[in-house]
Amino acid sequence: MGLRKSCAAAVAALVLGVGSPANRANAYSATGDRLFPATLVLPQIAPGDEFYVNAMTMPLAGGTAGAASRASNFTATYTKTITDRLGIVLDETWTRIDRVGAGSLNGWQNTDTAIKYLAIVDQPHEFLFTVGLDREFGGTGASRAGASASGATTPTVFFGKGLGDLDIGYWRPLAVTGSVGYQIADTHPRPNLVTPGFVVEYSIPYLQSKVQSLDLPEFVRGLTPMTEVLFTIPGGQSFGARTTALVAPGVSYAGEGWELAIEGLVPTSRATGRGVGAIAQFHLSLDFVAPETIGRPLLSAP
Amino acid sequence: MSNPEKPMKPRALHYPLFAAALLLPLLSPGLALAAPAGTVVGLSGASIVESGGARGAAKLGQPVQVGDTIEVPADGKLKLRMADGSVISVAAGTRLTIAAYGVDAAGQRQDARLSLAQGLLRAVVAPVERPARFEVDTAVGAAAVRSTDWFVEGSATAMQIGVLTGSVEMTSAATKRSETIPARWGARLEAGRDPVPPRVWSPAEFAAVIARTDVK
Repeated sequence: MGLRKSCAAAVAALVLGVGSPANRANAYSATGDRLFPATLVLPQIAPGDEFYVNAMTMPLAGGTAGAASRASNFTATYTKTITDRLGIVLDETWTRIDRVGAGSLNGWQNTDTAIKYLAIVDQPHEFLFTVGLDREFGGTGASRAGASASGATTPTVFFGKGLGDLDIGYWRPLAVTGSVGYQIADTHPRPNLVTPGFVVEYSIPYLQSKVQSLDLPEFVRGLTPMTEVLFTIPGGQSFGARTTALVAPGVSYAGEGWELAIEGLVPTSRATGRGVGAIAQFHLSLDFVAPETIGRPLLSAP
Repeated sequence: MSNPEKPMKPRALHYPLFAAALLLPLLSPGLALAAPAGTVVGLSGASIVESGGARGAAKLGQPVQVGDTIEVPADGKLKLRMADGSVISVAAGTRLTIAAYGVDAAGQRQDARLSLAQGLLRAVVAPVERPARFEVDTAVGAAAVRSTDWFVEGSATAMQIGVLTGSVEMTSAATKRSETIPARWGARLEAGRDPVPPRVWSPAEFAAVIARTDVK
């Protein structure tokens, strides 16, 4: 979510002159013995009880005086389950935009919320499928920081699939997650956007617990290397927006109830960005640290 | 028979030793006299209690001792109330041995250890005022708690735990790696490997194990 907002503010708004795509939530989720770690660029694929913060920075094209040379975002996200399959997401992002030969601009992005329903959980096949609806409230953020005056609504589908049910030996820790959304702007000239993305990850905890326990250092046992790929594609009238693609290779470390992850941000085109950025995230599982209070669904059996 | 090589001690010395041997358990703050480890308080089907090499049908109200093994048939269930107030509900197809169950004079558990060879049990573990473990061993690992309401299922190749309240620590016998499982979560452990990281269990998963251990 943070990155989408950052891409929105820094790349889309400043480079392309359009507003931001809607935010999304990230966190971990599970089906059967498969845990999908929290992602940093793509959204969380299932509802949960989490709180997490992330920070990103990314160089921009720069150029003449006053042009944006770098965008940095700081995002806080809270997710809450209503039932064990239905949840909501709230987040806020603060953006700083550095400029060539001029002072920086900063301010809040638009308030963003989402609702998600976990429709399918197939534990033996390590598969889950979620539907969601994201709503960005236009005009609630600072336009100087790239927040759009127009809101947007984004219906999205999410999936996660582990390969642990296949007879492929040491490839079983592999998993793929992803989402596809269609962001519908409230008003023009903000364009509609198709926002597909996917993550490929290899879980060392899964290797140790489901395939073979190797004599690995303690730190390595908690790692999940992963690469996220996110596209934004104008849908319908583009209003100057161009297709962007961002690749984010990195690694997540899982502790008991928390995760820490870091990724590089590699734009694949000038429309996406200029130079390699970075993003880091600390994620707290409230359903782990406070399972009997704030970490449980609002509507659940006592 | 006395050993002719050793001189016998004066008989007068034997009485204090004998008396001390009798009184020692009473003077010890920890151990009560050979009270049963628990009692059968719920029963369905023809369960077996193996005690001191003798096998017999379990009966309501029957005491069970440390060292006893309980076998619950495929169509049975059994519930035990232990000496410290903990309640253990045993599902069909389970074989369970009470390896240790120490309770002090005040009824507070010291250390309890059950050995689950096969099957499923639910343990509602009574809280204690001082550190005292309640542990269930399986073929592939162990689960330890202080007080909680939880389930453990074991076999020769795997175990899994679900926690309703409190938390449980599951440790792999092979790798010695542990995972803490909080309330509403569960986790699995397969032979020779690290524990699978825990996850939230669905209400349906809990309902399934509750039904299997629900002894009328």
